[in-house]
Amino acid sequence: MTVQDTSTAPDAALGLAGIPHTGEAVTADGHLTEPQAGDFHHARSAPPDPRWYKSAVFYEVLVRAFNDSDGNGTGDLRGLADKLDYLQWLGIDCLWLPPFYASPLRDGGYDISDFRAVLPEFGTVDDFGYLLDQAHKRGIRVITDLVLNHTSDAHPWFQESRQHPDGPYGDYYVWSDTDDRYADARIIFVDTETSNWTYDPVRGQFYWHRFFSHQPDLNYENPDVQEAMLDVLRFWLDIGIDGFRLDAVPYLFEEEGTNCENLPRTHEFLKRCRKVVDDEYPGRVLLAEANQWPADVVEYFGDAGIGGDECHMAFHFPLMPRIFMAVRRESRFPISEILAQTPSIPAGAQWGIFLRNHDELTLEMVTDEERDYMYAEYAKDPRMKANIGIRRRLAPLLDNDRNQQELFTALLLSLPGSPVLYYGDEIGMGDNIWLGDRDAVRTPMQWSPDRNAGFSRCDPGRLYLPTIADPVYGFQAVNVESQMNNTSSLLHWTRRMLQVRTEHPAFGLGDFVELGSSNPSVLAYLRTHGDDVVICVNNLSRFPQPVELHLSEHDGCVPVELTGGVRFPAIGELPYLLTLPGHGFYWFQITRPTTGEGESQ
Amino acid sequence: MNPGQSANPHAEWPSALDELAVADLRAWLPAQRWFAAKGQAITDVRVTRSSTVFDGDPGLRHLLVTADDEVYQVLVGVRDELTEHLAHSAIGGRNYDATQDHELMSRLLDLFAEGATTGGLAWRAEPGIRLTTGLRARPIGVEQSNSSVVYGDRYILKLYRRPTPGPNRDVDLHRALARAGSAQVAEPVATVALDDTVLGFAQRFLGGAAEGWATATASVRDLLAEEDLHAREVGGDYAGEAARLGAAVAQVHADLAAVLGTEEVGADAVAVEIDQMHGRLDAVLADVPELREHEERLRAAFDAARGLPGMTVQQIHGDLHLGQVLRTTSGWVLIDFEGEPAAPPEDRVRPKSALRDVAGMLRSFDYAALHLLAGEEPDHQRLTRAAEWADRNRAAFCEGYAGVAGDPRAEGALLRAFELDKAVYEVAYEHRNRPDWVAIPLAAIRRVTGGG
Repeated sequence: MTVQDTSTAPDAALGLAGIPHTGEAVTADGHLTEPQAGDFHHARSAPPDPRWYKSAVFYEVLVRAFNDSDGNGTGDLRGLADKLDYLQWLGIDCLWLPPFYASPLRDGGYDISDFRAVLPEFGTVDDFGYLLDQAHKRGIRVITDLVLNHTSDAHPWFQESRQHPDGPYGDYYVWSDTDDRYADARIIFVDTETSNWTYDPVRGQFYWHRFFSHQPDLNYENPDVQEAMLDVLRFWLDIGIDGFRLDAVPYLFEEEGTNCENLPRTHEFLKRCRKVVDDEYPGRVLLAEANQWPADVVEYFGDAGIGGDECHMAFHFPLMPRIFMAVRRESRFPISEILAQTPSIPAGAQWGIFLRNHDELTLEMVTDEERDYMYAEYAKDPRMKANIGIRRRLAPLLDNDRNQQELFTALLLSLPGSPVLYYGDEIGMGDNIWLGDRDAVRTPMQWSPDRNAGFSRCDPGRLYLPTIADPVYGFQAVNVESQMNNTSSLLHWTRRMLQVRTEHPAFGLGDFVELGSSNPSVLAYLRTHGDDVVICVNNLSRFPQPVELHLSEHDGCVPVELTGGVRFPAIGELPYLLTLPGHGFYWFQITRPTTGEGESQ
Repeated sequence: MNPGQSANPHAEWPSALDELAVADLRAWLPAQRWFAAKGQAITDVRVTRSSTVFDGDPGLRHLLVTADDEVYQVLVGVRDELTEHLAHSAIGGRNYDATQDHELMSRLLDLFAEGATTGGLAWRAEPGIRLTTGLRARPIGVEQSNSSVVYGDRYILKLYRRPTPGPNRDVDLHRALARAGSAQVAEPVATVALDDTVLGFAQRFLGGAAEGWATATASVRDLLAEEDLHAREVGGDYAGEAARLGAAVAQVHADLAAVLGTEEVGADAVAVEIDQMHGRLDAVLADVPELREHEERLRAAFDAARGLPGMTVQQIHGDLHLGQVLRTTSGWVLIDFEGEPAAPPEDRVRPKSALRDVAGMLRSFDYAALHLLAGEEPDHQRLTRAAEWADRNRAAFCEGYAGVAGDPRAEGALLRAFELDKAVYEVAYEHRNRPDWVAIPLAAIRRVTGGG
């Protein structure tokens, strides 16, 4: 090891002494040594299926919040691995883990200080390998977030860059003598940042950052940065990870006179990432996080002519707030409108859709009028608001109304896209709006009525966040154990719905056609994949509603309700009349009558 | 109700379509929703024109039938054997209402696509339109004055049940608006005509649409289920939609003005308008005694508009209410530009003040607010909430309108006169048809005229 002044050692800010990490040593030519995938165990592979992500059900779980294996009050990778049986029982196909890398945690772990090390409180790279291995054994895949755009300022690359402008890392970040370049780029975190440039007294220059000032942007103009980031992908893919959610992808490149978003060269780099996946790791996925309108987001799927050559998946952001609006307004139009505006996507691409996640319920993709409406309806207490959004969980957003929770989940599972569930919503967990920032929705998973909700054996005061303890949503009332023992619980209901979804490829792979009706409170649509034809009918109103559907194309077919298998009257020439209870929904498979069945009665 | 149903088709009506008996039509016509003099016996029925559209089985015959001086269009299907479904549409024997036969209706699309002429009927696609054929046809339900058929999810064909020779306002205004690139109408795609009489008009079908009435009443339902919340506080608040609807109506008015022009008419024209309002009031007063207590204030309100030096007139929708607007996934669309159904054709084509349409829509918001309360014991709380809803959405509609064209409230006296004129018409209509509902227009008259 090269002897250095410890205060200026590039890994000084990492806090990873004794653990393999970036910058443990510096080579003679100034390069940092980095951990290699070969140093760690590799997980067994998941079952091969190149299009698995198109019909998978994703489950977002925070490592910190799920299960604590070592009793220190914080969830960890081994703890999560211990709960894989539960996730397999529930019917989850893929876990999405927000970042678990080494980080000073000034931005929830999205401020990564070493791409090749795990945050010690979560475990080690080998613990992650173990989690992957155990997940794959159960047919469950795992993806995680990767921030391509920037690093933490504690990353050894940045420490080297600021101290040695002429060294190998001198151009890893976007440095400038002035703070007036790229003036057309908006400031994203207007609450905390006043400029996209911050002066670094060590180097005596300004550095560029689209997000927080402690998150300098990587300089993608530099081919070494591109190669280094591709090697980060390879590091985790070698260990066995099934893909990445690429965070903040629109911002990789900068160009004077533009808003520095969605630039062509950014797409070029994503194509390079995709090529690495396709050539070296087929079957793994890239999921773009671009909080933009679907018409803009489709760019991140790449060339439709060849089925897409950038990201396999992208989140559909504006759909989610509109589901809430539609149900509260008892009108299908907020949903119909956004789906009508959603362009078609390449054959190999898929949307990711969600009701809630670890962030606030974002209201960036709605008009001012709609935002005011959402605040008035769903954030009656000012503490429920965060940034441009609402920080609450699904159950409390819906006043703990079981019918609405089921309707929302049924919509999530049947609208076009792969659904992403948020941990705890399957049991109807609550939130704690008195916790800071977005921690309201990041409290410990509620496993049982025991101490700390069965999440940890530690002293309750040591928990990373207190468990939910209110009389309605508290862990004594809402927990996995009691709902496992009650077959009419939300948990069992959710599991059953996931099973039904798995049985019908139309949900994941099918076309989507909305079926209009004269009743604006009913949203009905057809999902079709080959012979698998599913009709979904949703009553967005709290009152019972009739609806007449025009199904004469399917004259003579019999709708079979999917959860119970009940055969409904055959479809005829006349409009098909259904009545739905308040917030009720139906899923039907349309079956051709086989010989001897279905004649007129 | 339908005499054809009871007869054994093969016994009395052996073969030819031409044997369709006038007696059967005489019995069948008055039971149709689109028949003008409902409930009255017909004295004189004649088939004034008959032509074959399709030979064979099933066959299609096109008739113009004159019943007591009104001309009706009847499409007659003929089949050796009527299916159970078509038996409900039997006219007599093997003859039935062909608009209910998806097989025959589906073939009409081919005629449009080919530009065929059958027995003098000219089936024509609009210039530049290439129709997709082979689409399944389905008749759509309840309609007041016409019969419509939807093709796949693509087109809708409206068959005018009482076609009139000469320019067809519905077709002409749709064409004018489509030429202007209007996003607020459904694109015309085809017509069928006999000489200068338009018999049918096909347009792009707006698949995911719902009627304005249904969307507005869903909001009212939500409000009345709460009771302790104000109209602006409930989740089903409609003001945003009402404002967008106002903007859409204003855009249609602006497009019609741009394409077909406007005209400034003087004080004498205003006076004629006011005189007609008084005349209509006279007629209703004679029938509906409840209206008498309002007569003085109504006449005063009409006369308040008399002092205007003039007004701007143009082509308008003419019969605008929440049932004539569709909420689609891309915004509001106006349908049915035939004009006021009760007015004679020459009056329908006359340019009018756009405020008439605005007044029609304002009245419709009032109806939507109160329809759930019709026939109920008056409940002050519910009435207050409903009135709040009406006020809020009427105001939002005007705001939306004002954002595109002029603020209709700037001409308060005239707008008020139009609205009251409409309400007087409603009093007469409800008095005849739905006595429980007469309270809705009466309450409006009381409120607008400031009567106790």
